[in-house]
Amino acid sequence: MSKKLIRLADCCMAFDGELVLDHINLYINDSEFLTLLGPSGCGKTTTLRIIGGFITPTSGEVLFDDVRMNDIPPNLRKVNTVFQRYALFPHLNVFENVAFGLRIPKTVEEGGRKRKVRVPEAEIRQRVLEMLEVVSLKGFDQRRISELSGGQQQRVAIARALVNRPKVLLLDEPLGALDLRLRKDMQSELKRIQQQLGITFIYVTHDQEEALAMSDTVVVMDQGRIQQIGTPEDIYNEPKNAFVADFIGESNILDGIMHEDFVVEFFNRKFKCLDKGFAPMEPVDVVIRPEDIDIVPAEKGALRGTVTSVTFKGVHYDTIVDFKGFKWLIQTTDYHSEGETIGIVLNPDDIHIMRKSQYSGMFGDYSSYSEEYDDLEDVSLLEEEEGGDEE
Amino acid sequence: MKKANRTGSRFLIGLMFLFLYLPIILLIVFSFNAGDSSAVWRGFSLNWYRELFQNRLIMESLYMTLLVSLLATVISTAAGTFAAIGLYSLSRRKRDAILMVNDIPMMNADIVTGVSLCLFFVAFFQGWGGFARWFNGVQSAVELPTRLTLGFGTLLLAHVAFNIPYVILNVSPRLRQMDKNLVDAAQDLGCTWMQAFWKVILPEIKPGIVSGALIAFTMSVDDFVISYFTAGSATSTLAMTIYGMTKRRITPEINAVSTLLFLTVLVLLVVVNVREAQLEHREASREPRKPTLMERIAGRTNTPGWRWAKRGAGAAAICCFVAVVVFLTGATSSQPVVNVCSWGEYIDEDLIGQFEEATGIRVNYQTVESNETLYSLLKSGGADYDVVVPSDYMIAKLIEEDMLEELDYSNIPNYALIDERFKGLSFDPGERYTVPYTWGTLGIIYNRNMVDGEITSWSALYDDRYAGNVLLINNSRDAMGAALMYLGYSVNTTDPDEIRAAFQVIEDANRRGVFQGRVMDEVFQKMEGGNAAIATYYAGDYLSMVENQADGVDLAFVIPEEGSNWFVDAMCVLKDAPHKEAAEAWINFIASTEANLANMDYIWYASPNKEALEQYPAYYEETYGEELDQETYEIMAAPPEVLDRCEVYENLPQETLSLYSDLWVELGVG
Repeated sequence: MSKKLIRLADCCMAFDGELVLDHINLYINDSEFLTLLGPSGCGKTTTLRIIGGFITPTSGEVLFDDVRMNDIPPNLRKVNTVFQRYALFPHLNVFENVAFGLRIPKTVEEGGRKRKVRVPEAEIRQRVLEMLEVVSLKGFDQRRISELSGGQQQRVAIARALVNRPKVLLLDEPLGALDLRLRKDMQSELKRIQQQLGITFIYVTHDQEEALAMSDTVVVMDQGRIQQIGTPEDIYNEPKNAFVADFIGESNILDGIMHEDFVVEFFNRKFKCLDKGFAPMEPVDVVIRPEDIDIVPAEKGALRGTVTSVTFKGVHYDTIVDFKGFKWLIQTTDYHSEGETIGIVLNPDDIHIMRKSQYSGMFGDYSSYSEEYDDLEDVSLLEEEEGGDEE
Repeated sequence: MKKANRTGSRFLIGLMFLFLYLPIILLIVFSFNAGDSSAVWRGFSLNWYRELFQNRLIMESLYMTLLVSLLATVISTAAGTFAAIGLYSLSRRKRDAILMVNDIPMMNADIVTGVSLCLFFVAFFQGWGGFARWFNGVQSAVELPTRLTLGFGTLLLAHVAFNIPYVILNVSPRLRQMDKNLVDAAQDLGCTWMQAFWKVILPEIKPGIVSGALIAFTMSVDDFVISYFTAGSATSTLAMTIYGMTKRRITPEINAVSTLLFLTVLVLLVVVNVREAQLEHREASREPRKPTLMERIAGRTNTPGWRWAKRGAGAAAICCFVAVVVFLTGATSSQPVVNVCSWGEYIDEDLIGQFEEATGIRVNYQTVESNETLYSLLKSGGADYDVVVPSDYMIAKLIEEDMLEELDYSNIPNYALIDERFKGLSFDPGERYTVPYTWGTLGIIYNRNMVDGEITSWSALYDDRYAGNVLLINNSRDAMGAALMYLGYSVNTTDPDEIRAAFQVIEDANRRGVFQGRVMDEVFQKMEGGNAAIATYYAGDYLSMVENQADGVDLAFVIPEEGSNWFVDAMCVLKDAPHKEAAEAWINFIASTEANLANMDYIWYASPNKEALEQYPAYYEETYGEELDQETYEIMAAPPEVLDRCEVYENLPQETLSLYSDLWVELGVG
C-alpha cells in the first residue's frame, strides 16, 4: 500500500517566464486516491500534465518507480488520462473510442531487438466490452458519441483510459461539466471503480466537497505551491493556514495571540484551546468553524453580538453576526431574526490555532462575503488565460 | 404600405438575379445555336460541342487546366493543411496576425498577384542564369541549365501559391473547433504525434480539407489573370485560350466551352455546399426545424448507396487525373518542339497536326490578342516563343529594337512562292526577317438597308445623316488613319498639325452624336443584327459577318476612294529562339501553297502565296461545289489597282505615338 509509485522532486514550471509551479515535492503511493485541490490557476492541472507527460517541468524531476521520466513522451508512460470535457474522438463510436489505445501497436524490446506487438482483435473485443461493463455502459458499444449524455460520455472517457490497464489514472476535473446530481452519482461510481481495479487515481478538482468525499489523500494547492498534504479529516480539522481553512469549508478566521500552551486570546478575552507548541505571546490565526459555534441567550454568552443577516440553507441557517465590527458566520438550525442580540459559547475543541502566513487577514470577516464571491469569478477568468498559454 | 414594400424588394431581387444569370443563360442557349452568330438564333444543334472536342487548341488547354488545377490542389491542400496545423499550435495573438497576413493575398487584386509573381520569376531566372553560368564554369560534373523560362512549373507554383490561403482559411476553423485535448488524448493512449495526426486530427479536420481542396480546385480552374502572367509561352490554360480566341470574335465554340466551364464550377460549388450542409445536418440533427434544400440533399445523399457513388466518383477522378498525367507526360517527352504565338482563330488547326505528322516536331501553339500585348509579353522576358506573327508596324518596331533573328532563307524554299508584291515592304526592306502570313485591307462595312445608296468615301463615318448608327473602331491607329485619309493625308504622317486636324474631325463628329460607340469585337453582333449602319473593320471579318447577317440586313464592304490601310502579318523568329531550325521548318510549311489555301479558306484573309491566291477560286469550287463570287474574292484579296490606293502602317516615332495616345484619351474623356 505505501509503495511510492510517482515522485515529483522540486518541480518548477514557468510559462513565458511566469512561475506556475513553485518547487513542488510530492509522492503518490500505489493504489492511492490522491486529489490535487485548489482554485483555478493554482497549478493543479499543470502538475497533472507534468505527470501525464504533456509538458516537461522547467526544473526538477519526475520519477516513476524511481526512474527519471522527464523526457519520456506521454505515449510511452504507463499512465492514462481522463480529460476535462472528455476529449472523446467524435468520428469514432463508443467501441472504437474505448479500443483506440489497444489498437496502437506497442514496441517492445526482446533481447535487444525491437518488435511491434498488436493486441489480437478477439482480446480487444473482450477487454472493451468488459470495461464498458465496469463503467455501466453495457450495450452502448455501437452508439455514436454525439448520441450520449454527458455522464455517459464521462464513462466512455474513463473506460477508454482504463482499458489500457494503466498503473495510474489521471483525472482532470472529470465531473466539472456534469450537473450536481450526476456529479454525486459519478463520485461514488469513481470511488467504486478505483477500489474494484485497485489502481492509483490522481484526481484534479477545485471542488472541496468532491475532494473530501473521494480521496485518501488531499493536496491543497495555491499559487503554484502546495499548502497542505493530508487525509480529508486532517485537512478539514487541522488546516495549516488561513488559505486552507478558508478553501476547505467555511471558516471564521481571527487574529489571536497565543499566551501559553492551551491558552489563546482574541477579542481581548482568553479562551481555552487544545493547541500547543507556540512561542509565548506569538501572534496566530484562530479558526472557528461556523457549525461549531453554539448560540445562547445574550446574557449567557462568552461573546455578544448582533445578527445582521440570515439566509435559509435547507438544513441550517447561515447567520451573520457582528461582534465589535467583525462579522462571523454561524451555521445553526435555530432561527434568530435580524437585529437580535445573541451570545455564543466556544468549547476548547471548537478552536483551532494556526501560525501566521501570507494568507493571514485575507479571509474570515464576512463583511467581505460578497467580494469574496467576486474574487472567485475573477479566478475563473484567470483560468482561461492560463489555458490560452498552454495551447 | 408594407406589402408594397415587400413586392418592391422582391422585384429588385428578381431584377438582380436576372441581371446576374441572364447573360449566362444566353451564353448557354447560344452554345446550342446551329448558326455561328452570337446574335441570331438558327435552330438547335450540338455542333459546337462536337467542334469543341475536335479543337486541338482547346482540348490541349483543357488538359493543361485540369493538370495544373489538380496538381496545384493536391500540393496546396497538403501544404495548407500542415500550415494550418502549425498555426494552430501558435499562441492566439501570433496566429491571428498570421491569419490576417494569410487573408491579404485572397483579397489582393489578381492582376497584382500575377504581375508580381511574373516579376519575381523573371528576376529569379536572371539570377539563376548568372549562378548557373558561374557554376558550369567552375566545375564540369553537373551541367545546370542556364536558361529558365516561364512555363508549366511557374504556372503550377503560382497556382499553389494562390491556393494555399484558401486551404488554410477552410482548415483553420475546423482545427479551432476541435477539442484541443484530442491530440493529447491520442498521445496519452499510445500514439506518437504522427499517429495522432492520422488517426485523430485528420478525420476531425477532413471536412475542412475537402472544402479547401474543392475551393482551391475551383479557383485554379477559374483563374485567368494570374495564369496569364505566369504561364509563359509554352503553356496555356483554358481561360487563356478562350481569351486568345476572342481576339477576332466570340465564336459559339467559346460559348460551348464557357458553358462547360460554368457547369463544372457550378457542380463543384454545389458539392461544397452540400458537404457543409451535411455537416450541419449531422451536428444539428436533433434540432426540430425544417431542413434547408442543401440539407435535404445532404440527408438524402448520406445513404450507403450514395456514399459508394461518392467513393466511385472519387476513384474515377483519381483515374482521370492519372490518365491526364500519363497523356501529358507521354505527349511532351523529349520530342523536338517549336513554340508558335499567333492570334486567336488565325489558323486552320488541321495544319498543326499535318506538320507534326510530317516532321515529328511538336507544335506548341499559343495565342495573344493584340500586337501590343505580344510586345509587352516579349519585353517582360517571360515569353519563350520561337515564331511570332506580328503585323507590319510591330515588325518594324521589333526589328528596330533588335528583337528578331535573321532568317536563313535556304531553309525556307517556299519563300520563293510568295508574291513579289509582299516582299521587301517598308517594315523589312532587306528581306532578312520575315515571311508574310496573310494580308488584308481595312474598309467600311455598311448595311445597305440603313444608308442611302452606295458609300464610297470615309466622309460617311462623320455624316450627320447616320447619327447614332456609326461604330467608331476602338483602336487609335485605325480610327485616326481613316480620318487622315479622309483629309487626304498619309496614314503614316508625323506632322502634329495633320494629326490634330484628323482628330478634330473625329471629335466634332463625336460631339454631334454621330457615333453610337467605340467597339472592337461587338462590331460583329451590332452589324450582323442590324443594330448599326456603318463600321470600320477588316475585310476578312466582313465576310464572316455576311455569313451570319440576320434577315433584313444586307451588308456591303467598300475600300473608300480616298484609299485605306492594308496590312501584312508576317512570321518572324525571335532573337535567340531556342528552336530556330524547327521554327524555320514551320515557317516553310505554312508558306506552302497547300497550307495557304487551307488558311485562306479557314480565316478568309488573303494569302501572300502567289499560287494559292490564284488557285483559291478553283479550290473553293472544288471544296464547296459552287463558284466563288468574284466580288467576294476581290474583297478578300483586293486587286492590285485597289491595293495601290492603300498604305501600309509604318512604325511611328515615339512622340507621334504619344500624341496619338494623348488625343485618344482626350476623346474618351470628352
